[in-house]
Amino acid sequence: MERKELEQKIIELVAISYNKDEAELSLETSFKNDLGGASVQMVALVAEIENELDATITLQDASACATIAELVDVVAEEL
Amino acid sequence: MSVLDKIYEKAKQDPQKVAFPEAANEKMMQAAYETGKEGYIIPVLVGNAAELEALAAERGYDVSVFQIVDIHDEAYKNSVIERYVALEDTRLKEKALGRRMEDSLYFAMAMQKIGDADVTFAGIDNTTGDVLLAGQMIIGLKPGISTISSIGLCDIPGYEGSEGSLLAVGDSAVCTNPNPEQLASIAISACDTVHELLDWEPRCAMISYSTLGSGQGELIDKVTQALAIANEQRPDLNIDGEFQLDAAIVPAVAAKKVTRESKVAGKANVLIWPDLNVGNTAVKLIQQFGHADAYGPMLQGFNSIVCDCSRGAPVSEIKGNVVISAVRAAGSKSNR
Repeated sequence: MERKELEQKIIELVAISYNKDEAELSLETSFKNDLGGASVQMVALVAEIENELDATITLQDASACATIAELVDVVAEEL
Repeated sequence: MSVLDKIYEKAKQDPQKVAFPEAANEKMMQAAYETGKEGYIIPVLVGNAAELEALAAERGYDVSVFQIVDIHDEAYKNSVIERYVALEDTRLKEKALGRRMEDSLYFAMAMQKIGDADVTFAGIDNTTGDVLLAGQMIIGLKPGISTISSIGLCDIPGYEGSEGSLLAVGDSAVCTNPNPEQLASIAISACDTVHELLDWEPRCAMISYSTLGSGQGELIDKVTQALAIANEQRPDLNIDGEFQLDAAIVPAVAAKKVTRESKVAGKANVLIWPDLNVGNTAVKLIQQFGHADAYGPMLQGFNSIVCDCSRGAPVSEIKGNVVISAVRAAGSKSNR
């Protein structure tokens, strides 16, 4: 999967998991400051990534990502 | 009869299927065997069946006490996956679930989700984080609940509260700094937990350093906002506050400080701490100075009962927690 395509897919999955509009999100979106991330939503996101991208990432690795861009890097390593 | 004796008696009346995904562990297998043999639960060992059968025989156990589920039994695994993905409120799809179910913790929880087990009991080999993640991913949260949390049941010698020497407190172990929505969830879950386990009519106090506006500031605002959310979500429950600890549990203090009608003030049987700094310290004060036995932490907020035991727990403590989980599972079924 091309990097651009992966970025778009992950933004789509973040939007689903955090119940946000995709248009509000970018690679710079901060989980803590912009999404007020609770662990429950991060669990949902990890599950979505597993379902849609066949990549198993740990909750710990996902939770350590400050931004969507960092999450894309973590997922890219698993693909 | 102690509270634990009463819970044991209750368990015997309606034994639940408890899945043990870490059954190869010696302490876990002993706890599963003894609680099964004594008729409190139906122990379901989940793992490598040949290994579990050999270990059980080697340890001198009557294997017929156990139901053993082999995670390599492809036909059964496929049946679990099929029934799981057919449910509406599940997160994982077929392929992802199949991959996760190579781990017996996920296998056991998937069985629980579809009703082939009532409780999953783990935490001796897996970390608390592993158990919480698997629980959230496979079992999911109850509708309207925004966080996993926990309560402890304290049996305090000399305390004469509205439930005798017993008092339920939470969260002292899981949710570090709840926002108002999460604090409301902790209170609601705590009420459901004590009702399932002890048949109490919960009277739940939201604890603060202020009683009904005697103080002001953001720490109090969080508690009053949580109270408003809890009351709106579950008007059937008696949740009230904000109260100082004494106003919550001492009738004479409540009479002085709480000048409006309250079904909770002075006679609370459930206390909800504003955050984990308070909760963890408070439960240790109760144990150290009150010489109390504290049972738990009991995880709450999941769609059905998941139990995480301490890694260093002795067999006697594991057995107590197994039986408590089973009684909660039976109670949550009858409340549905």
